[in-house]
Amino acid sequence: MSKPRGGEGVSLGTGRRRLKLIRGNMDMYMLLIPGLIFLFLFKYAPMYGIIIAFQDFNIFGGISGSEWVGMAQFERLLQSDEFMQVLTNTLLISLYKITILFPIPIVIALMLNEVRRMFFKRTIQTIIYLPHFLSWVIISGLFINILSPSGGIVNEIIRSFGGEPISFFTSNSLFRSLVVFTAGWKEMGWNAIVFIAALAGIEQEQYEAAAIDGAGRIRQMWSISLPGMLPTIVLMFILRIGSLLEAGTEQILTMYNPLVYETGDVIGTFVYRMGLGQQDYSFSTAVGLFNSAVGFLLIIIGNMLSRKFIGRSIW
Amino acid sequence: MYRKTAKDYMLDGTIYIVLIAMGLITLLPFVNVFSKSVSEEWAIMSGQVGIFPVGFQLDTMKFVVTSSQFLNSLWISVIITVAGTLGSLLITALTAYPLSKRELPGMGFIIVLFIFTMMFNGGIIPNYLLVRELGLINNLGSLILPALISVFNMLVIKSYFENLPASLEESAKLEGARNLTILFRIILPLSGPVLATIGLFYAVYYWNDYFHPMLYINSTSLKPLQLYLQDIVMNADTSSALDKTADDLMNVPAEGVRSATVIASTIPILLVYPFLQKYFIKGVLIGSVKG
Repeated sequence: MSKPRGGEGVSLGTGRRRLKLIRGNMDMYMLLIPGLIFLFLFKYAPMYGIIIAFQDFNIFGGISGSEWVGMAQFERLLQSDEFMQVLTNTLLISLYKITILFPIPIVIALMLNEVRRMFFKRTIQTIIYLPHFLSWVIISGLFINILSPSGGIVNEIIRSFGGEPISFFTSNSLFRSLVVFTAGWKEMGWNAIVFIAALAGIEQEQYEAAAIDGAGRIRQMWSISLPGMLPTIVLMFILRIGSLLEAGTEQILTMYNPLVYETGDVIGTFVYRMGLGQQDYSFSTAVGLFNSAVGFLLIIIGNMLSRKFIGRSIW
Repeated sequence: MYRKTAKDYMLDGTIYIVLIAMGLITLLPFVNVFSKSVSEEWAIMSGQVGIFPVGFQLDTMKFVVTSSQFLNSLWISVIITVAGTLGSLLITALTAYPLSKRELPGMGFIIVLFIFTMMFNGGIIPNYLLVRELGLINNLGSLILPALISVFNMLVIKSYFENLPASLEESAKLEGARNLTILFRIILPLSGPVLATIGLFYAVYYWNDYFHPMLYINSTSLKPLQLYLQDIVMNADTSSALDKTADDLMNVPAEGVRSATVIASTIPILLVYPFLQKYFIKGVLIGSVKG
């Protein structure tokens, strides 16, 4: 993607031409300076900091004064039952989110596409997009409130049907479902937007032709709308797989508590607890590196798949 | 003409019912918590508040929004959001412009350097140690400086610049205008819509960010709204997070205060929601067409 556009310049002698371009546009290069300082200081310097994953880092010695331990942190990681639990939680929550939450926005888009009353359509869209703009703190606050065992509306309803109140946020058997449900509640509507746009791109004539041939609306949804969305669906799915190890760190941090670490602690929250809570900097950086490396690999694979199946590169 | 069959009516009926149900599932939690925030505590604790308030009163809400800690956090959030958005927008546009000139040597390589950071990053701890090293702990700069450029946003602006008609710049160049002049006199004035969209992306990010304040800010007087809310929501003991005396707390109960704080924190976003919805949808679509 970064190949210089040759052609006309080749005969002039590329070297001299390039030099002339650089000289004539020094102001353009000066403009880049703040962005480059940002890039190296806040993006690449932390990558250099990853080497503490191979050290026994202490804050007083710094990177240069800490003992080198090679792969010891990673050995510790692989032998840690806690880490295995965290990895399992991450994969489970992520897979639940993908299998349950990925199809819903597609269905929402299909349904909204069938609605002919514009006012109704716009009202529903306005409502279901709203939670996307609220922080996880607010969403968790909302759900802790309505699910509270003391006076929360959901438990009042359960009680009125003769059931026992449930403490949703401290139950290991319910916590993952809670995480998946609230994530769906927040982003379901918003995630439909790209699919709605894909549907808008389908030519109306196709539907008209199908109607003349006697295809009912369900048949049209199945044979025109859905295939029309397919490239978008594949692309979104590949992107989603790329963040497989991101099970919702920010979300879970606002929702969990020590009682549900067993089922709710994921890689991101674990790094936070070990690193900043217990100041085990090297170990948590090793966990973080594991996370970034797997994520990187997934994105590369995803991009390859994307090129192969829909002829489009993600970046 | 196509005539609706019985099957079509059933399909429409199902679609309307499902969509209305989704709308209600989204709205009802807000309605319920709002009602709690304006109800009497006895009604809240006995579980009588559903959709409508019971024993309507505004004292809890007044107590929450006049609490000096709430107002202070609100102010901090406003500062971060305004300074962060302006700073981000400026540096992002300034970086995107030269990078949109692919014919200049080196630009392609620098773009790759930026894109690489979208796929791989140092992780939480190295970032934390860097911020610490820079002396930014308990400094609002820690919430803005490391977030100045979002590579995604930068690429969106860059592709917008690339799609502007080249003739505009060429004629200015023939008259001897320099690149900077072209950027500020021609390019940026034409980029209103994309700058508005990206500005809102940044604003919502800064406003909603609680993760970084949680890492970098522990002084109470510097806590932004999200962190303050987190303290109230997670602490069963509300009194520690509020700056009122015990006497005040006797009159203003915890459950109502928590509901009112959630609602009060939602209101700023609600106020700007019409703009957000409009510009965000545009942004998502630009981004998904050209990442």
